[in-house]
Amino acid sequence: MGGGEGVSGDESGAPAAVATVHIRCSNGNKFSVQTELDATVRAFKTTVATSCDVPAEQQRLIYKGRILKDEQTLSSYGVEADHTIHLVRASPPMTSPNTTTTASQGAAAQAPNSGSSPAAGTGGFLFPGLGLNSQGSNNSGLFGSLPDLDMMQQQLSQNPGMMRDIMNTPAIQSLMNNPDLMRNIIMNNPQMRDIIDRNPDLAHILNDPSILRQTLEAARNPELMREMMRNTDRAMSNIESSPEGFNMLRRMYETVQEPFLNATTMGGDADSGANPFAALFGNQAGNRAGTNQAPNTESTGSNPASASPAPNTNPLPNPWSTNTGAAQTGTRSTTGSETRGTPAGGLGGAGMPDLTSLLGGGMPDPSHFNQLLQNPAMMQMMQNMMSDPQTFNQLLGFNPTLRSLLDTNPQLRDMIQNPDFIRQLMSPETMQQILSLQQSLQGLAQLGRQQSGQEQNQTDSGAVPGAGLGSNANLELLRNLFGGLGAGGFSAPANQSNVPPEELYATQLTQLQEMGFIDAQENIRALIATSGNVHAAVERLLGNFGL
Amino acid sequence: MTLGSSGGSSVVVPRNFRLLEELERGEKGIGDGSVSYGMDDADDIFMRSWTGTIIGPHNTVHEGRIYQLKLFCDKDYPDKPPTVRFHSRINMNCVSHDNGMVDPKKFGLLANWQREYSMEDILTQLRKEMASAQNRKLVQPPEGTFF
Repeated sequence: MGGGEGVSGDESGAPAAVATVHIRCSNGNKFSVQTELDATVRAFKTTVATSCDVPAEQQRLIYKGRILKDEQTLSSYGVEADHTIHLVRASPPMTSPNTTTTASQGAAAQAPNSGSSPAAGTGGFLFPGLGLNSQGSNNSGLFGSLPDLDMMQQQLSQNPGMMRDIMNTPAIQSLMNNPDLMRNIIMNNPQMRDIIDRNPDLAHILNDPSILRQTLEAARNPELMREMMRNTDRAMSNIESSPEGFNMLRRMYETVQEPFLNATTMGGDADSGANPFAALFGNQAGNRAGTNQAPNTESTGSNPASASPAPNTNPLPNPWSTNTGAAQTGTRSTTGSETRGTPAGGLGGAGMPDLTSLLGGGMPDPSHFNQLLQNPAMMQMMQNMMSDPQTFNQLLGFNPTLRSLLDTNPQLRDMIQNPDFIRQLMSPETMQQILSLQQSLQGLAQLGRQQSGQEQNQTDSGAVPGAGLGSNANLELLRNLFGGLGAGGFSAPANQSNVPPEELYATQLTQLQEMGFIDAQENIRALIATSGNVHAAVERLLGNFGL
Repeated sequence: MTLGSSGGSSVVVPRNFRLLEELERGEKGIGDGSVSYGMDDADDIFMRSWTGTIIGPHNTVHEGRIYQLKLFCDKDYPDKPPTVRFHSRINMNCVSHDNGMVDPKKFGLLANWQREYSMEDILTQLRKEMASAQNRKLVQPPEGTFF
C-alpha cells in the first residue's frame, strides 16, 4: 500500500498547504489527489473528478462520518494530509444497479503503521549490537540488551523453525565453525576447565572441530537429530544388555556426566549469568530431579565401546520420554563436547540465548571480553550481524521493549540506521571505551543502588560523552540510548534486586494511573519491562508492538 | 512474531486511549469503507460527540443512501455503550420513529455491550441490520430528511 508515502503536506515553499488526500470508492478504487486544504469542497470534487469517472455533481464525499458540503472548505472539516475521504456516487434520479459507489479502504489506513514497523525493524538492527558493545561487562552478556531472556528462550523453544533460522544465519555458523572461539568460551568457565583437566578425552573431543560442526548440523536438522538420538538409544540398550555393560555405563556416568552436570548447574541459582552452562542445562537438571529414570540417565555417559572420538553416538536417556526430549539434546552434548552444548542445547532451549549466557558467563572478566572482541572470528561475526538486517529483525522481534523504544525515539532510529555510526561504534577502540565505561558504571550502580531509575539514566548519559564517545554528541539521544540499554540489562537488574518496583517507578506509576491505566500490577510489569520508560510502557500496555 | 500476546490482552485500555485510537482509524479510513465516523468537535477534550455515516447496503431499499448518525460517548465509555441516534430519517425496527434513537433493547450489540466493541462495530452492525430480512424491504422516508 504505497499510496500513503508520498505526502507532501509539509512542503514549506507552497503558498497554501498542499496535501495528498486519499480517496476510496467501493468499486475497489483508491487513489490520491493533491489538493490545497483550504480549497472548497466543490473545487475539490472537480479535482477528484479528473481522477475518476464520477462527475463532480454526482460525487458525495464523506469524511469522518460527515458528508462534505460543497460550499465548505476541506480544512473546515479538519481534513489533513494523508487522511482518507470516502467517495460515494450519489443516486441518480432513477435507481440503477450501480448507484452506490462505496468508498473502499484507503491506502492511508495502513501506510502510517506499516511505515513504522519496517523502520523499527531496521532500527533494531543496531540495537543488539549496542548491547554487544556496552553490555558486555555485565551479567546479561553478549546480547544483554534483550531484557527478557527467559521469555525469548521460551519463544525460541516453542518455535523450532525460528531456532533453525537463527542457527542457519551465516553469523552463527561462522561462529560455530571457529573452534578457537568456542574453546575460548568454554575454557573461561572454571568448572568446565576442571572437568576437562580431569578428562583428557573430553579435551580431545573439544579440540576436534568436526565434532562441533557435526553437532551444529544435527541441531539444524531435526531429522538428523532424531536419527542420532535413535542410534544412541539403540547402542545404549546393547551395552546395557552385555554383562559388564551396565557397570561400565555407570562408571562413565560417574566420571563424566555427574561432574559435568555439577559444573553446569553449580551456581545456577545464585546467578545464572555466572555459569553459562547452568542456563544451558537448567532444563535438564530440572528434569533429572523430577523424573526418576535412573538407569537411563545414568547411562548418559559416553559410549564405552567407542570411547574416544565418536561422541555423537553417546547414549542418551530415553529420548522418547515425554517432554524430556529437548533437555536430553543438551545431555548428549554435555558428554560430547561442551562446545556442542550450544548448538545442541539449542533445541532444548534456545541457541541464541544460550550463546548469550555462554558469552555472558565469560563477561565478568573484562579481559575475556577484550579477548573476545579482538578475536577476528568474533569481529567477523559481529560484522555479519551488522550487515544482515534479517538477523536483526529476528532478534528485534524477540524484544518488544526495544521496538517500542525505537518507536518512541525516531531520532534514535535514524541514528541506528546510519552506517557511519555503526562503524564507529563497532571500532575496537570505541568498544573498549564502552567496556570500561560500563565497568565504572557498574561500580557506580553498586554505590548508588538507592538511586531511582531516572537518576541512574542520567548518570549514564552524563558519563558517556565524558568517556569519549564524543562522535555522538547528542546528549538526549544518548540518554535515550543508554536508558534503553539499561532497560535491558544494566540498571534494571541492579535495582530490582533491592528496591521494590513500586518504589522505584513510583512517579511513572502515578503517571500511568493518571493516564487511566488502573491495573497497578500490569503497570508495574510494563514498567519493569521497559525500565521505567513511560512511553514504552504505555505502548506495551496497549499491545502496540508495531507489528 | 509471537510477541503480541505477552502485553495487552488483559489490560484495560483507558477511555481516552480507546477514543484516540478510534479517532485515528476514522481519519485514516477504515474497514471496507461502508461506514465512516469522526469526532464532531475536535476541541472537546472528552471526545464525547461523534458523527457516523452508513452507506446503505446493496440490494436493499437502503442502497444508494447515506445515513448520518450521532453517537455520544459518555465518560463511562467504553464500559457502557454510547447512545446512538440516527440523524437521517430511517424506517428500521430498532430505531425510534420519533427521534431516531437506536433502541438498545432491540439492537443486540448495544444490549450485550462489551468493552471491546467500538463505534465502528456499531455502525457496521447497524448496516448489517439494514440488510436483514425484516428491514431490507421496509418503506423508507424520502432521502435527505432528518429527525
